[in-house]
Amino acid sequence: MTVQSADESLSPQVPKDGIDPRGPRFGAAITATLLLFVILLAMPGASRPPVEPWERATQPAFLLLTGIVVLFSWGAAAGVARHPYGVLFGRVIRPRLAPPAEREDPRPPRFAQLIGLIVTGLGLVLALAGVPFALVTGAALAFVAAFLNSVFGLCIGCQLYLLLVRSRVLT
Amino acid sequence: MDVVWTWAAVGALVLVTSIGGLLWRRRQGRVVSDRAVHRVSAGDLTVDSASPALLGTDVTLVQFSTEFCGQCPATRRLLSGLANDEPHSAIRHIDIDLTHRPDLATKYRVLQTPTTLVLDGEGRVRARIGGPPRRPELVDLLERIQKENHDRAVSR
Repeated sequence: MTVQSADESLSPQVPKDGIDPRGPRFGAAITATLLLFVILLAMPGASRPPVEPWERATQPAFLLLTGIVVLFSWGAAAGVARHPYGVLFGRVIRPRLAPPAEREDPRPPRFAQLIGLIVTGLGLVLALAGVPFALVTGAALAFVAAFLNSVFGLCIGCQLYLLLVRSRVLT
Repeated sequence: MDVVWTWAAVGALVLVTSIGGLLWRRRQGRVVSDRAVHRVSAGDLTVDSASPALLGTDVTLVQFSTEFCGQCPATRRLLSGLANDEPHSAIRHIDIDLTHRPDLATKYRVLQTPTTLVLDGEGRVRARIGGPPRRPELVDLLERIQKENHDRAVSR
C-alpha cells in the first residue's frame, strides 16, 4: 500500500479525459493521403507558377491544400477529438476496436496540428506569392510528419511540444 | 515526361520517409550500452531534498518522463516491476519528471521521453534506452550487471 501511494505521488497527472492514441493516427492517415494528392496535382508545372495571382489561387492543388489548412486550423483550435476525423474515428472506428491500452494527453497532438497548420499555411502563402515549388514543398514536409505519425506512431509535433514545454517556452 | 517525374518524386518521398520511420522504430526501446564513463550520484537525481534519491546496490533504473508523455506510464509499470523500492534493495527505479528539472534533460542529453538510464552499483551509466524499453534486452543487462557484482563479491 505504501509502495502504491509513493508511486501515485510520482506519477504525473494524466487527465481522465485522455484520448485514444489511435485517433490522431487515423486522422494522420487521411491527411497523408490528401497531401500526396496535393503533390501529384502540384508537381507538373511547379517550377513555372501561373502569372496571375487568381490563377495561382484556383489551381486544384492550391484548393486541396487550402482544405487541408482549414482542417489543421480546426484541429489546432478545437483539439483532435473534435476535429472531423476525430469525430469520425470516435463514431465509426473506435466502437469496432478493443479499448486502448493507454490514453494520451490531448495537448501534444493538438500542438502537432498547429505545426501542420504553420507548415501547410506557409506553403499556401508562398504559393500565392508565386514562389516556385511552394505547394509541393509545404505538402511534402507535412506529408513526412503525417505519414510517420500514422504508420509508425512517431508524432514529431508532439515531441516538439514536449521539448518546448520542458525548455519553458510553452507553459 | 512531367508525369514520370511526378510519380518518381512521390515514390521517392514515400520510400525515404518509410526508411526513416523504420530506422527510428528499430532504435526505439533498444538497450544501447554507454561507453563513455559517466558517473551519477544520488544527489544528482534528487528532485526534492526532503526525500533524497537512493541508488540500488546493484542497479538503478533512472526514468526521465514528462507530464504529457503517452508511453511513460507503461514504462513506469515495466521498470517498477523489475525494481524494488525498499531501502538497500538491489534494483531501484527512480522516475524524474523533466518538467520540473529541465537542467537534468540538458545534462543527460534527453531528447525524448521516456528515456531510461541504467546505472550500476557505483552509479556508472551502463546503458541508455530511448522510448519504452524492450523487456528481454533490459532483463539481460540487469542479469549481467548483477552477475558481475556477485562475482566481484565472491573474489573479494
